[in-house]
Amino acid sequence: MTTFDERPATAAETEVFGQDTVDRARAIIARYPRSRSALLPMLHLVQSVQGHVSQAGIAFCAQQLDLSNAEVSAVATFYTMYKRKPCGEHLVSVCTNTLCAALGGDDIYAKLREHLGSDGKPLGHEETSGTPGEPGSITLEHAECLAACDLGPVLQVNYEYYDNQTASSALELVKALQSGQKPAPTRGAPLSDFRKVELQLAGFFEDNESDVDGPSAAAETVRGAKIANEKGWTAPREPDSVEFPALPEKK
Amino acid sequence: MTVAPEKSAELVVPEGHVKLTIDGLEVVAPKGELLIRTAERLGIVIPRFCDHPLLDPAGACRQCLVEVEMGGRPMPKPQASCTMTVAEGMVVKTQHTSPVADKAQQGVMELLLINHPLDCPICDKGGECPLQNQALAHGRADSRFHETKRTFPKPIPISTQVLLDRERCVLCQRCTRFSSQIAGDPFIELLERGAQQQIGIAQEKPFQSYFSGNTIQICPVGALTSAAYRFRSRPFDLVSTPSVCEHCSSGCAERTDWRRGKVMRKLAGEDPEVNEEWICDKGRFAFRYATAADRLLRPMVRDADSGQLRESSWTEALRVAAEGLAKARDEAGGVGVLAGGRLTVEDAYAYGKFARVALRTNDVDFRARPHSAEELEFLAASVVGTSPESGGVTFRQLESAPAVLCVAFEPEEEAPIVFLRLRKAARKGRTKVFHLGQWTSPAVDKTFGTLLPCVPGGEPAAIEGLFFNSGTAEAFEALSGSGSVILVGERAAEVPGLFSSVLRLAERTGAKAAWIPRRAGERGALDAGVLPNLLPGGRQVTDGTARAEVEQAWGLAAGALSAEPGRDTDAILGAAAAGELGGLLVGGVDPYDLADPELALRAIERAGFVVSLELRPSAVTERADVVLPIAPSTEKSGSYLNWEGRRREFGTTLDGTGALPDCRVLDTLAVEMDADLFTQTPAAARANLERLGATASTRRAEPPAVPAPPAPGAGEDGVLLATWHQLIDNGSLQDEEPNLAGTARTPVARLSAATAEQFGVVAGEQVTVATERGSVTLTAEPADLPDGVVWLPLNSGVSRLRRELGAGHGATVSLRPQARGGNS
Repeated sequence: MTTFDERPATAAETEVFGQDTVDRARAIIARYPRSRSALLPMLHLVQSVQGHVSQAGIAFCAQQLDLSNAEVSAVATFYTMYKRKPCGEHLVSVCTNTLCAALGGDDIYAKLREHLGSDGKPLGHEETSGTPGEPGSITLEHAECLAACDLGPVLQVNYEYYDNQTASSALELVKALQSGQKPAPTRGAPLSDFRKVELQLAGFFEDNESDVDGPSAAAETVRGAKIANEKGWTAPREPDSVEFPALPEKK
Repeated sequence: MTVAPEKSAELVVPEGHVKLTIDGLEVVAPKGELLIRTAERLGIVIPRFCDHPLLDPAGACRQCLVEVEMGGRPMPKPQASCTMTVAEGMVVKTQHTSPVADKAQQGVMELLLINHPLDCPICDKGGECPLQNQALAHGRADSRFHETKRTFPKPIPISTQVLLDRERCVLCQRCTRFSSQIAGDPFIELLERGAQQQIGIAQEKPFQSYFSGNTIQICPVGALTSAAYRFRSRPFDLVSTPSVCEHCSSGCAERTDWRRGKVMRKLAGEDPEVNEEWICDKGRFAFRYATAADRLLRPMVRDADSGQLRESSWTEALRVAAEGLAKARDEAGGVGVLAGGRLTVEDAYAYGKFARVALRTNDVDFRARPHSAEELEFLAASVVGTSPESGGVTFRQLESAPAVLCVAFEPEEEAPIVFLRLRKAARKGRTKVFHLGQWTSPAVDKTFGTLLPCVPGGEPAAIEGLFFNSGTAEAFEALSGSGSVILVGERAAEVPGLFSSVLRLAERTGAKAAWIPRRAGERGALDAGVLPNLLPGGRQVTDGTARAEVEQAWGLAAGALSAEPGRDTDAILGAAAAGELGGLLVGGVDPYDLADPELALRAIERAGFVVSLELRPSAVTERADVVLPIAPSTEKSGSYLNWEGRRREFGTTLDGTGALPDCRVLDTLAVEMDADLFTQTPAAARANLERLGATASTRRAEPPAVPAPPAPGAGEDGVLLATWHQLIDNGSLQDEEPNLAGTARTPVARLSAATAEQFGVVAGEQVTVATERGSVTLTAEPADLPDGVVWLPLNSGVSRLRRELGAGHGATVSLRPQARGGNS
């Protein structure tokens, strides 16, 4: 079980969230009729500053939203996208749900664990290779379905897709990330880093909205629709009224 | 079921109701009723864990699954009867008539028990555990789960008094829902997810709620246990006696569980009119004072030679006391009686009667706290004799009031159950709560309240402002709604003109005013006539008809009772200190609760002869000539009057301890002085009091008419002190209970940013508040107080204001920052 870092929040840590973060927090709160609705983007916001949701981050959210620390902890510990330990420059998520796993996801994950591990010990789930936050540091996780089964096995770096991977292509990708390169994802926005993406998830694009505007559907995904379109295939029209089947006889 | 289904034609369905069938029985239910409740009314028990009638439905545990058919169409899966409301024509089959429901319930039970440690033999809940009971009634004999159970470290303290064992938890969320809905303290939550899902607190943020003990009681498994009670006894070894809480004026119903002459724990009793099913942690955990090692068990007499108290026989002690009191009465200017605010009605009556009959004086007062003549007039005119029967304000009325104004009253700290009702009323959006106070305390937030800020002592001026000031028009408007209530608390007695202003406001708005004292015995003592101006039943001392009634009932000669109102507590102490009173009879009074403790101690020392009736040693017993031990509430019977004026009767919990109630001791003492009180037992005292009945006198006491003074200022160098008691503090009835003490709110000095700046005080650092008597140093914390005001708790930790400063609410004090690292 992963746990929060064990230290209580200090004044120095609360200072981590400087005026710009406070301003952003207020901007998030202003988006919702009720302030507590802002909690999810707020947690991404503190994660964009510290690379994880720390106790200071929880206290910060609670204070901004007038919630108790326990209420914020409840949400932060429920969702897996909120990390409890500082993350690396990049977050690599390997899909190990059934289809990807069968297609090679398990092999990819095993390979990356071995590569990123140290002292002969493979890297564990949500563990980081290198110093968290430093260039080239990588946090590895096995993820639940990433919603790209037709392109499996897939992995994501900072939630951007790398489709149709193999153990060796994934290894190359990770080595490139470690050396400071940012290989382009198969589709979607260009690769940045974990904290920048977290800021985007909080709803701040810093004039780079176009980054996330790129086409995200792969050719494979829309192939069926395309063929149907070419051939003029359509689904049968729904009838205007439907007869319910008769009630079963009472016994 | 063997009941033949009734014909539907016979059931009349009133407006707003529906008809449905449960287990073949036709039943009419109000729209919106939950299926599980409707079944309960039919006597059909559906097993459940998360369902609680006073909490919002959750559907968390899934134990209450039943089969439901709607419009002739069965729902595809069993449904949770604790979240589904009744509907016309619904057909419900519980486990009694549906094998599907029965199997579903068995399945849920099997699932709930997968990770449960089945450690019933070492669990506090074993024997009274809904999980244990329902597993036997509705579960499978065997589990098909043979893998390793998930384990957690256990138990973990989530506060000093509540321990959490996560392995036993079935995640019903009763505790989290209670904390967020009822108490408004969401410090305990569901954390993590999946198999790791668990109840927990945020780090470094313990479950500091005044109501946390209720979560232990409503936990349907042994997951939440009490540090004080853990491993102390088994439920089936305990004897349960219904009791009434002796702490505040709410008068909560409790259940006292005891064995072998010792109270093991207290639980909330059920009384929908008063405390519903909740009590505060003080009422639940603070009972060990009665078994403290220093408890007085034998009478003591001051030895003439050594000047020390020595144990004596009752015969000797009563003889010495009677002789001394008689001598003081006849030869030394009389005896004053200070009864204290923690008496039962019966004991209080004995004090009042003892003063009038044995000591022949009206110098008797129960008010062991700052008080005023205006308060006396207020109590005599507006409070005494009110009760739910006579149309007085009740808990239920708080719930239906369009607006409630709290004046000089901090509900969460002073009467926690009143606070829960206010929160419940406000949470349902029916009641607007206004607080005339100094800062936005937790209670203001949690009652969704509006603070009407004023400086301490400025309350009357603020109330006058309500009439004229457009800024507070909303409050005035709201209070004018029919059924609105004004609650006034004990510190109103420290603010001249406040009671008068409250009555004027009540008159202008039509709102009803109610007085909520802090101590359990005050309201009863008022009605029993333990005041210098009142005889029992609200009879005025100055009223000849009323006096004659009492004289006749008490068998006294006509004219035996003085028509002159007596001295109040301060005047009694003043007279004793000046040598004008020859003796004092003191009940459970702590001099350090009084406005001027120094004067009180001087008075007790100066008085020629002092008799103290006490439970444990105090500053009074130290100085007394005779000390007579009396029984704590668990060792006697009696009744309290709660703030509503509702009689809260209780029987003896621990019988045969030999401890005597005050009324018995006073009765025997009176006999030694050739007077008969007829208060040998609480029952006799009660009968004697009831013989008096209601007065035939039509004279009404005049309400106080003190003009509202302008809001005070503290001048250039000082600040005004605002203060009230915190619920869990240094009170002597909380002694011997360190686990409870751990959940007390940390004493801090609160002040506004501007005031802090003016006096060079830095938030988070020490600040010293002083009078010429002494000083108190606490950590400064910013709050939304008016400028020129500092708030300190009255009697918490080092902040013992009466003892150290001789100051109370509205006093002027000086303020200075404490140098870092300095000590005071």
